Amino acid sequence: MPPNVVPLDLRDFLCVAPAVVLALWGLVVVAADLARFRRLDHESRRVACGRVTLIGVGLALASAVFLAWVDALAQSDADRLVSLFGDSLGDYFGRTDGLIFFGTQARGLAVDVVNVLLLTLLAMVVWMSTAYRFTDDVGEYFALMLWSTVGMMLLAASEELAMMFIALETTTICLYIATAFERSRRRSPEAGLKFFIYGSVSSALFLYGLSLVYGLTGSTYFDAIGRMLHAGEPGLAGNLAGASALVLILVGFGFKVAAVPFQQWAPDVYEGAPAPVSAWIATGSKVAGFLVMLKVFVHAMGPWSHPTNSVMGPGWLGLVAVVAGVTMTYGNLAALAQTNFKRMLAYSSIAHAGYLLVGVAAASVSTEGPTSAGAVVYYLVVYALANLGAFAVAAWLARDKGTEAIADLAGLGGRSPFLAVCVGVLMFSLIGVPPFAGFFGKLYIFMEAMRQGPSDARIILTWLVALGLLNSVVSAFYYVRVLKVMYLREPSGRPIEPAKPALALPIVATAALVTVLGVFPGPLVELSRAVAFPMLTARRLDAPAADDLPAPAPAPGNPDRPTD
Amino acid sequence: MIDDVPLNWFLYFSAASFAIGLTGVLLRRNAVAVLLAIEIMLNAANINLVAFWRYGTPAAGSGPMPGVILALLVITVAAAEVAVGLGLVLLCYRRWRAVDVDRYDTLSG
Repeated sequence: MPPNVVPLDLRDFLCVAPAVVLALWGLVVVAADLARFRRLDHESRRVACGRVTLIGVGLALASAVFLAWVDALAQSDADRLVSLFGDSLGDYFGRTDGLIFFGTQARGLAVDVVNVLLLTLLAMVVWMSTAYRFTDDVGEYFALMLWSTVGMMLLAASEELAMMFIALETTTICLYIATAFERSRRRSPEAGLKFFIYGSVSSALFLYGLSLVYGLTGSTYFDAIGRMLHAGEPGLAGNLAGASALVLILVGFGFKVAAVPFQQWAPDVYEGAPAPVSAWIATGSKVAGFLVMLKVFVHAMGPWSHPTNSVMGPGWLGLVAVVAGVTMTYGNLAALAQTNFKRMLAYSSIAHAGYLLVGVAAASVSTEGPTSAGAVVYYLVVYALANLGAFAVAAWLARDKGTEAIADLAGLGGRSPFLAVCVGVLMFSLIGVPPFAGFFGKLYIFMEAMRQGPSDARIILTWLVALGLLNSVVSAFYYVRVLKVMYLREPSGRPIEPAKPALALPIVATAALVTVLGVFPGPLVELSRAVAFPMLTARRLDAPAADDLPAPAPAPGNPDRPTD
Repeated sequence: MIDDVPLNWFLYFSAASFAIGLTGVLLRRNAVAVLLAIEIMLNAANINLVAFWRYGTPAAGSGPMPGVILALLVITVAAAEVAVGLGLVLLCYRRWRAVDVDRYDTLSG
C-alpha cells in the first residue's frame, strides 16, 4: 500500500502556541544566562534568570488565554471570528471538531483551560525556585522546567499513543535531570538515578502494553481503539494479549501517578529532589498524567472496563478499584510515621492518587457518561494548588534550615501568624475539611462513585467510598501534626526566619485559591465538567462510526487471539 | 506473505527478550547493566510494533504505517533516555566511586 501523504496544516501550530512559546523560551533562558547573567554573583544571577523565565511563562499564559478566548468565541459566535481573523484563519478557528496534527492532538476550550492551569502552577514553581540556592546551573535548571511543561501540555492534549509516549518521555526525562540538580547533596543525584530507573522501566512496560494494544486493534488513536474494542469480542476472558496489554499499561500509569505497588520511587524522589522540582513532579506531572490516564482508560479502553457487567470479572474496573483502595490506605498509614516534611507530602500524594483512582473507576461506570470525569478534574486542580503551597513551605524550610524536618516549623504560629494560618488552610484542604476546596474535591469524587452504574459496581464502589472516608480521618492525624508543631511547640534551636515574597506569595495565593474554590465551588465544577466532556469524546470526523466497522479480522497466525 | 515467518514467532521472540530485559532490571546490580536491560525491553516493544504493522490489518482512518513510525520514535526516545541515564550514573559514580545500585542508600524510610 503506497503511503498516502496528507499535507500538514501549518495553522495547527497556532493551537499549540503556548507549548511552542515555552520550548523556544527555554533556549532564550539558556542563551541569556550564558551571555549576560553568568558574570553576576549567584544571588542576582538566579533572580535574573528567574525573571526572564517568568516573562516566558507570562507570554505562554497570554497565548493560552488568547486561545481560550478564541475557542470560547468559536462556540458562541463563530461568524465574528471570520470578521476578526479573515476567511482562512477565521474558518479554521471556528471549527470545533477539536483535533489537530492528523488527529493526534486535541484543541479547544478544554485544552486551553488545562494549559492555563499548568502555566499558572509553573509560574509559582519558577518563582519559588528563585528563593534559595540549590544549584549553580540556574539557566539550565529553568530551561528544563519550561521544557518539562511543554511535555505536560502536549501530554494532557494528546489523542494518540505515539504522541502520548513522546510527550510523556519529554516530561519525565526533563524531570529526571531536574531531580539530580542539587549536586551539593548526595541525596539529589541518588534520587535522580532512582527516578530514572523506575521511570524508564515503567515506560518500557507501558510501551510493551501499548504495542500489544496496537496489535490487537490496528490503530494508535484513542478513539479508534475505543471503537475497535467496542465492536470486537467483549472482555479479556481467555484473551492473553488483551489482558497483558491492560495490566502492563496499568503498571505504567501506576508508576507515573505513584500508585501502590509501584510507589517506591515517590518518597525517595520527593525527598531528594530540590523542593521546587518535587513540587512540579507532585503537581504538574500528576495533573497531566491523570488526565491522559482518564483518556486512555475511559475513552480508549472504556469497553474493557467491565465487559461482563461484573466488577470483579474480566476488565480493568476491578483492578483499578483494588489498586485505589490499597493505594490510599498505604499512603495514609505510611505518612503517619514520617518526620521529614517532603517525605510526608510524598506519602500524602500517594494517598491522593488513591482517591483520584476512585474517580477514574467511577467515571467508567457512572450513568452520567464522560462528564462524570469532571470530578477527577476538579480534584486535580484543588490537589495541585494545595500541594504546591505545601511544597513552598518545604522550600522555605530547606532555604532556612537546610533540612525539611516537620519539627523545624516549631513556633511559626507566633513568628509569622498570617503565613501560619495559610499553611493551616492548605493542610485542612488536604485533609478535606469544609469549607475548603479539598472537601468538595473528595465529595464530588465520592458522589460520582455512588452514582450507580451496574448494581454490582455500586456495592464495590460504596465500599471504596467508605474506605476513602476512613482514610480521610487517618490523614487528619499527620496533617494536624504540622499545625500542632506550628502553634504548640516552642522552637528548640534557632527559629525559622520569615519567608521572602518568592515563598510567601505561592503559599498565600494557593491558600486563598483553595478557600475561594471551597466557598464557591460551583463555577469550577461546571468548568471541570465542561473540560471532561470533550476530553473523553474527541473523535475524528472523517473516521467511520462504530456501526459501519467490520469486526477486527484476526491476524494470521496470532497465537494470542481466542478466535484461533 | 504466505511463505514468511509467521507472526507468532516474532511475538514469542519479543516476549522472550522483554522477559530477559525485565529479569536483568530486577536482578543486575550494576547501574550500566540495568540501563542495557531497559534498552532490551524497549527494543522488544519495537519488534512487536513492527511485526504487528507488517502482519496486522490497519484500522480505518489510522494512516498507513503507525507501527513503524511509532518504532522510529521509540528508537529516538531510547537514545535520549540512555544519554540522560548515563549522565546520572556518572554523577552518582563521582560521589560513591561505585556503580552498584545497592550502594546508593542515603534515602530510605
